[in-house]
Amino acid sequence: MTTLAASAAKVRQPLGRTKAIGWFIVVVGLFTMFGMGVGTGTAPHSTLTFTPIDVSHGAPWHLANLTLPTEWTLVLLGAVIVALGAEVLVRRLAKGAMVRVGLMAIVFLVAVLVWASRQPGPSQVPFINVTAILVGSAAITMILIYGSLSGILCERAGVVNIAIEGQFLGGYLVGEMIDSATNNWLLATVGGLVIGALLGWLLAFLAIRYLSDQIIVGVVIVTMFTGLASYFNSWVLTPYPNLNNGNIASNLAIPGLMKIPIIGPTFFDETGFFYLMLVLVGLVSFALFRTRWGLRVRAVGEHPQAAAAVGISVERTRYVNVILGGAVAGVGGVAFAAIQGQFTPSITSGFGYIALAAMIFGRWRPSGAVAACTLFGVSAYLAYNLQSYQVPISTEILLMFPYLITIAVSAGLVGRVRPPAADGIPYSRE
Amino acid sequence: MRLELRGITKKFGSLTANDHIDLIVEPGQIHCLLGENGAGKSTLMNVLFGLLQADEGEILIDGEPVRLANSGDAVRRGIGMVHQHFMLVPVFSVAENVVLGFEPTRSLDRLDYARARENIRSVSREFGLEVDPDATVESLPIGLQQRVEIIKALSHDAQLLILDEPTAVLTPQEADALMAIMRSLAASGKSILFISHKLKEVRQVSDVITVIRSGRVIGSVPPTASENELAAMMVGREVSLVVQKSAATPREPVLEVRDLVVRDDRGLAVVDGVSLEVHAGEIVALAGVQGNGQTELVEAITGLRHVESGSVVLAGRDITNHSPREILDAGLGHIPEDRQRDGVVLSMSVADNMVLNTPRRAPFARHGTRNLRAVRDHAETLVESFDVRTSSVEAPLSSLSGGNQQKVIVARELSRPLEVLVASQPTRGLDVGSIEYVHREIVRVRDDGHAVLIVSSELDEVMALGDRVAVMFQGRITGIVDPSTSREDVGLLMAGSAPAGTR
Repeated sequence: MTTLAASAAKVRQPLGRTKAIGWFIVVVGLFTMFGMGVGTGTAPHSTLTFTPIDVSHGAPWHLANLTLPTEWTLVLLGAVIVALGAEVLVRRLAKGAMVRVGLMAIVFLVAVLVWASRQPGPSQVPFINVTAILVGSAAITMILIYGSLSGILCERAGVVNIAIEGQFLGGYLVGEMIDSATNNWLLATVGGLVIGALLGWLLAFLAIRYLSDQIIVGVVIVTMFTGLASYFNSWVLTPYPNLNNGNIASNLAIPGLMKIPIIGPTFFDETGFFYLMLVLVGLVSFALFRTRWGLRVRAVGEHPQAAAAVGISVERTRYVNVILGGAVAGVGGVAFAAIQGQFTPSITSGFGYIALAAMIFGRWRPSGAVAACTLFGVSAYLAYNLQSYQVPISTEILLMFPYLITIAVSAGLVGRVRPPAADGIPYSRE
Repeated sequence: MRLELRGITKKFGSLTANDHIDLIVEPGQIHCLLGENGAGKSTLMNVLFGLLQADEGEILIDGEPVRLANSGDAVRRGIGMVHQHFMLVPVFSVAENVVLGFEPTRSLDRLDYARARENIRSVSREFGLEVDPDATVESLPIGLQQRVEIIKALSHDAQLLILDEPTAVLTPQEADALMAIMRSLAASGKSILFISHKLKEVRQVSDVITVIRSGRVIGSVPPTASENELAAMMVGREVSLVVQKSAATPREPVLEVRDLVVRDDRGLAVVDGVSLEVHAGEIVALAGVQGNGQTELVEAITGLRHVESGSVVLAGRDITNHSPREILDAGLGHIPEDRQRDGVVLSMSVADNMVLNTPRRAPFARHGTRNLRAVRDHAETLVESFDVRTSSVEAPLSSLSGGNQQKVIVARELSRPLEVLVASQPTRGLDVGSIEYVHREIVRVRDDGHAVLIVSSELDEVMALGDRVAVMFQGRITGIVDPSTSREDVGLLMAGSAPAGTR
């Protein structure tokens, strides 16, 4: 009897798959060492600078530029990747394989950067501005985290929110308009929150009341709102450009902390939306995993019948969470507007979907989602900016990276992710 | 607690599921509710637990009428329910499951795990139900999960426990342990309402047995009533509980399984070197608690699951990893475990279901075109000879009762040229009357000289039908015994330990 349970609990990944992942990492490492490193020839150098682009708040610190021999740096980075792969192979890591793949991705991105900026080389930009990269990535990461938190709130209660993209767009449009009219980001945030919550309610209503397929409803909401936003753009924003004048929220620097080299500009010289995001991450984590409310939400997402049997209202829990999730994504849309400015119809460019992918990669946990969003955020930022380094890879290809990882993860190639058991399944009492 | 139901009536459209049901459960009493599937037991329990509202009648607790609007109300009134399909969240700990809905909290709505654990420990101590509060439920064996369900009900201070078919998923030993727990709970003053269709255990543990049929109370009898009496009350006519069969005359082996290894969806070798022979003219019954590889073994034999190693030979022909179509054409009849998923297409007509595995064969089709007349004639003949109760052969299968759906499958499989019949859980969910019928048909197949392999988790069925009984545990055959072997010894084999005197 007991052995029966033991064998059932011993669900492990087939060894072959772990091996394949290990070898894949090793190959990437070897490519970094020999394909990119040794292949650069004529002893080039790569220079790292740390001065932030925006020095309006002053940079009372100065870090000297760091000049590295490109060849040996790449060999070293490649060796680190090989070591990660070797660890997976030797220790037969099945569970930690996903983390190793994430680390590999980050180290590899750094290596690409070092390689691309080498001098003499094809690059127009003779250095890598580390601080600028971190600041730029932090902005994208913030947007993604709003989306992931929205997804987590919904899916932990058993509703798939694929409409995050639409909620982003709604928040962006409404936020930008309100801010343009009032010049008040607080009001804009309230507006984005309301539109996001409304779109969340629509999803919840169709999914819970009419038991519709949540994926289809979600996609329909996105499609509908994309069309609506285009319509709005040409019939309202074009004739009245004052409603779309591309304001950008100013930063609220935290005195003292902002003066820390590198970390200061990245974390403590940000818009209010960034700090709000940090608070939300903590709040959602705490609420989901420490409180009575969270236990009930997770019960509804895992086994709604069991929750109903002890008097928890499955419908109400799902409504509340999907509306909350919509509101969070709506605020994320406003945050998007606050860093990006002027609205154009396809401005959110699939970030809602990347956020959902990050949520899966982060195993439906806020902490995991933050790690995944950071990885995706950095790679998205680099993808947009590597062009200036004349990298012979197109932006579009680089932008596929988050999706490739998501496919690998959800196909169970890397680690095993287990969504809430009732995720996406309509609940009815009978 | 003294529970009284007066004139409970519940209708679903034109169907009356409960028709003026009266029932009294005294404090400290184990009261069994006995009835066939569809008799209205589950509806009554759902009304009692607040999941459904009665159209008429009232519920009295200790003489006082109560209204139960939802299951939370029922729990607050001291009614606890152990569902047949456990209402436990697999990824939660025991403690989290037990407190769900009634969580002790500290400031900021935080869960108070210390108090949750203490609650469980005090219930464990009081009733002798040991379990680790921090264990994850999915890592516990079924018997312990059920114990968690009971603790959950008791921790909400339940005075009346409803147990819905609690032994269906247990080994005989676990079932005995459960009955001991039931008795000790009753001795401590709890009332127990025990729902079952298994006559043996009902007589063993109950103080009073109330039989319901077609939504009505047929009568209440003491546990001294004979099994035949109880069965007659359930079905409404005399039924034969003993399978009538003569001694087997086994001939040459027809189905030979050699060192079969099969993996489940998670990659575990759940069939781990099984060898088995089924001869023409005999019934081999495969016993075992569900989840010990029987399902995967049958799937491998019938071509529905990949065979990792080993071989399956049917009438001298190697059919290992052949397609299901080739295997069916080679003369294998299959009555699948989950008939609604693997056996029929519910939205299609009775006639189409009758030719589901022979649609392209003459006379049902020619040159890629179906001969609908032949299909209908065939169906009408079978409906007649197998006594399928249906409004017409064109009616969708979903309009038939579970027993009649099973008859459609049996009719279809037995109307083809057969070498071997493989039947999984052939009587699951069927009423006593249909069980009798299916058993008779299976014995007839054997007497016609075919080989039969039965898989069942009902020990009674295995012992009654089998000419030889093979017991499976954790992917291996732990023993092949004569059906005259004692239930205790077979039970031991099902739990993985070999009793003295067997291989």
